Amino acid sequence: MNPSTGVGRAPTVGRGPAPFDVRGFARTAQGSLRDEFDLEAIARAGLAPECRRTLAALAELEGATMAYLRNVLVTATHKDARVTAFLVSWAYEKYWIADALRRIAGEAEDPEDRAAGIATSGRGPVRRALAGFVQGFDVIGAHLALGYVDDLVLDLAYARLAAAAIPIATDPGAAGPALGDLIARIRAIKSRHTAFFEGETCRRLGASPRAARLARREIRRSPWPLGGAAVGAAERAAFVRFATSDGAAVAALARGIRSLPGLDDRTATAVVRRLGA
Amino acid sequence: MAFDIDRYTETSVSVNWSDLDLEVFRRDPLPESSLRTLRYMADVEYHTVCYTRDLLTTPSHREADVSAFMTMWNREEFWHGEALAAVLAVHDITVDYDALKANRMKLGWKDRLDPIKQSVLGGLVGQDFVAVHMSWGAANEWSAITAYQRMAELEEHPVLAELLRRIAKQEARHVAFYTSQARERLAANTKAQKVTRFALSRFWAPVGSSISTEDDVRHVMTHLMSGPEGRRSARKVDDSISGMPGLAGLTIVQDALDRLGVS
Ligand SMILES: [Fe+2]
Ligand SMILES: [Fe+2]
Repeated sequence: MNPSTGVGRAPTVGRGPAPFDVRGFARTAQGSLRDEFDLEAIARAGLAPECRRTLAALAELEGATMAYLRNVLVTATHKDARVTAFLVSWAYEKYWIADALRRIAGEAEDPEDRAAGIATSGRGPVRRALAGFVQGFDVIGAHLALGYVDDLVLDLAYARLAAAAIPIATDPGAAGPALGDLIARIRAIKSRHTAFFEGETCRRLGASPRAARLARREIRRSPWPLGGAAVGAAERAAFVRFATSDGAAVAALARGIRSLPGLDDRTATAVVRRLGA
Repeated sequence: MAFDIDRYTETSVSVNWSDLDLEVFRRDPLPESSLRTLRYMADVEYHTVCYTRDLLTTPSHREADVSAFMTMWNREEFWHGEALAAVLAVHDITVDYDALKANRMKLGWKDRLDPIKQSVLGGLVGQDFVAVHMSWGAANEWSAITAYQRMAELEEHPVLAELLRRIAKQEARHVAFYTSQARERLAANTKAQKVTRFALSRFWAPVGSSISTEDDVRHVMTHLMSGPEGRRSARKVDDSISGMPGLAGLTIVQDALDRLGVS
């Protein structure tokens, strides 16, 4: 066993990279981006309406960590100290990503709609706790797979925002370059989350067919993006339209999902369909 | 007084001990019984994120302030765990994630049923239950401050005292959040007061009870809260709790000590 990471088992599938260093991640977690970027200047420089709307939606989606924690921690996932240690710093980094996005985009359009969305989103925690009781430890792999897929989905939007920031750069005084830098920074921060989710999911789904089955089911029936209940229906639809306008990107999303052990074509197709892409 | 959530999130940091020379514990180690208490404290701190789950099963997670606080709070408590683990490590006691996981596995049923109980209660009383959670949190954070202060007094170890003082300083901000939330929800809401009184007097137990053996709980409570000085500290926590609207007369900490046979 490696005492610094707490990883006791070698991955049974693939020859992946070294196990993710959770303690190192916690030590170097990225806090507020307010000092590093002039967020007010980016906001002042003006944004294309659809970019602004997407940034506002992303702020809500990134900030919806507590709903995810609620759903996963009522199950056996809370017993895995390595996973919970990761989630503590993951939520912290996403809080500050959401803060930066909100500062440049302003508040989301429809806060009332949003509150209603949370109240009715998915199964309640009691049902999840009962279901989690039956599913045992295999459910952890499914929860981490959800985190991985959600990162892929949100990255579609970030990729398009990054591309959109380039042409604006030719317009002097526009938000382009600074916005592009911020998006690049956010994607770099998020790449560590994706790496953790991916590594853990591969290990767990590769080792347990039951974990893979649970993951397929959870992925198929989850709303995408995961925190979609945190934004109103109209905002969610606009977000999806923006994020999935590029067919090649959507195909890459499907490939990313299929690349995990045990996740089949049907699962990838279900996500694309649920996105409405 | 209102709690300034923006100020809190902007100034929330992981507790720092890089300037403290923990190597002094090699020459001047803590006694066995103190290490057992520290180990308990570290487990409780690391487990904090799991408690969020209980809070989140009620409508309280809808509120942005609560969600912002929880995010920072979880992280600060995690680092309290890391700091205490660093002290334990100098005593050759390893608290890695596997050890924590093994501990959590041992809990079995007791811990697993908790969110169900809480959710059912939460569903029954709706928003009023948020008052219970906030008052509960206040009681736990007051207990944490008191426990660290008692530990510092008892050990008279300068490096440990300084580390515990830094941790307790962060616990004080947690108290401020929970009490401001609890007061606001209890004030002028007699139903919330009644539910909170009922829940605290009926269900409250010292922090860590649901994740430890009774032997460990009794050890820690005896270590920190026995004798006249310990009782006085317990009474002080009770006075703070019973000072909240509608909670006059509650003595939940002293009651818990009596139940454990700690005098
Ligand atoms: Fe703490
Ligand atoms: Fe605390």
